[in-house]
Amino acid sequence: MLDYAEPVTKLIDEFKRLPGIGHKSAQRLAFHVLKAPQEETDRLIEAIREVKEKIVFCSTCNNLTDVDPCRYCSGHSRDRSVICVVEEPYNLVAIEKTREYHGLYHVLHGALSPIRGIGPEELRIKNLLERLRPNESGESSVKEIILATNPNTEGEATANYLARLLKPLGFRITRIAMGLPVGSDLEYADEVTMHKALANRHEI
Amino acid sequence: MHLQRIEATSFRNLTGSVEFSSGLNVVYGANAQGKSSWLEAIYLLATTKSFRTSHPKEAIRHDANEAILRGTVARGNLTKDLQLLITESAKQAFVNGKREAVARYLGNLNAIAFTADEMQIVRGAPESRRRFLDRGIFFTLPSYLGALNEYNRVLKQKNALLREASDSDDPAKYFDLIQPWNDQLVALGSEIHAARVNYVNELRAHLNPGLFQAEEIAIRYKSSLEGRGDLGDYANLLKERLSLRLKNEIAVGYSLVGPHRDDLEILCDSYEISRFGSSGQQRSALLILDLAQMSVYYQVFEEYPIFLIDDLDAELDRTRIEILLDHLDGRSQTIVSTSKRTIAERYRHRARTLLVESGRAVEDEVLMKEGNAI
Ligand SMILES: [Zn+2]
Repeated sequence: MLDYAEPVTKLIDEFKRLPGIGHKSAQRLAFHVLKAPQEETDRLIEAIREVKEKIVFCSTCNNLTDVDPCRYCSGHSRDRSVICVVEEPYNLVAIEKTREYHGLYHVLHGALSPIRGIGPEELRIKNLLERLRPNESGESSVKEIILATNPNTEGEATANYLARLLKPLGFRITRIAMGLPVGSDLEYADEVTMHKALANRHEI
Repeated sequence: MHLQRIEATSFRNLTGSVEFSSGLNVVYGANAQGKSSWLEAIYLLATTKSFRTSHPKEAIRHDANEAILRGTVARGNLTKDLQLLITESAKQAFVNGKREAVARYLGNLNAIAFTADEMQIVRGAPESRRRFLDRGIFFTLPSYLGALNEYNRVLKQKNALLREASDSDDPAKYFDLIQPWNDQLVALGSEIHAARVNYVNELRAHLNPGLFQAEEIAIRYKSSLEGRGDLGDYANLLKERLSLRLKNEIAVGYSLVGPHRDDLEILCDSYEISRFGSSGQQRSALLILDLAQMSVYYQVFEEYPIFLIDDLDAELDRTRIEILLDHLDGRSQTIVSTSKRTIAERYRHRARTLLVESGRAVEDEVLMKEGNAI
């Protein structure tokens, strides 16, 4: 016999599929839904439906968008000579929040990880190469590619792979710097971050 | 640094608490009464690792969901309360009642343990010797653990690719995929190699090679790239070897080059001790290494870690015990376990003696009285 009536069990099972949700959280969410007023659950259902219907991946940069190409790719004020490569759409949002970067983006939707079976084919690298292809006059509008993948072994490997792939094509390839979080005390930095920050020190 | 007191809740069969002196402590009792469990508890409180099991949750008593170890550590006039909570799925560490990340918790109490398992260092495969070095380096260089973890992670990723490549009809197409991982292995591997070479030099400087008189112990870091080129320019050599042996690595399907293949060479009268040493020589060598590790630690922190010896008389003969205890006297808090009452009696005049029965440790009054009477 099931612990709960079938529809409840079904809902718990669906919540359990979500990332970061274990059995207990799934149970809590399911009971929240059960107790919530009808309007609230209708809003949730509608929000999920809408996002699935209206949001697509930009065919140029793979960012999430409701118009294709996305607003970054079609924006007239964006600097078309530089592309910033990130792993996930939320990484793009983090960079965009600074309001200091005005170039274009490219979202890979992941990082290389042989353990998880993720190779270059699984990442959106092919349409990056298409973007970089020179025009009829043999030139590409892109001059620089910023590799802003995560500062872990997978992100590092991905940046390294892309650098090897793109550098021979004549682009300027840069990697975002890693170090201490600004605005925090040195004493709160963990040893590894501190070690990297020291190793990457620069003259002033 | 010394442990004043430890309390165990739902940890194996232990009950109550034990107080220790800052010098020598002898915990004795019949087998299976819990004397080794008390030492295990101390080591676990210090390192969050057990010397008996790689799954500390096995130490949770059957009728409980979690085990708790609490201890008070003194450093000069400062005391700190440490607590380790062990549950089915995790370990949580607390300092003075506040939750701390394990990386920050470690270092509040440092312990070196001489146990039957540790004999693998002088008897077993290179892996145990690398672990001995890595643990010693981590004591004094906290960022090292990060480099080591990252190295192992990269290695795992690369091995997954190598396995795939070795099954493939077209291994050549994997060359470009492996390169980014090799680049990281070079950077991290050089860091690890440098730290280990440096640490072995430190150890050698603090080695007391003839402490047990009978034999001369010598050590050397033995890189797996020895004889392959200039070790002074390790990063370049490693890079060169990695590309040179890529095809072999693909053929076998796992990684063949890097500091995870290195060894610590331990020589006894210029013979390799793990192969040619007698059991007694191996014990002497391990003790000499442990003591050198303590000295290196002292040089950095101006204090000694605590020293634990499980089953003292099973591992050491009387002469070695005497020399060792004399050496530790006045340096390090030492906590030893033994099943022999005679041993406890022999050291009662200079030790705090604790009798363990059914998991409870009590100061042995009979022994104490006899000791005072002499
Ligand atoms: Zn776009």
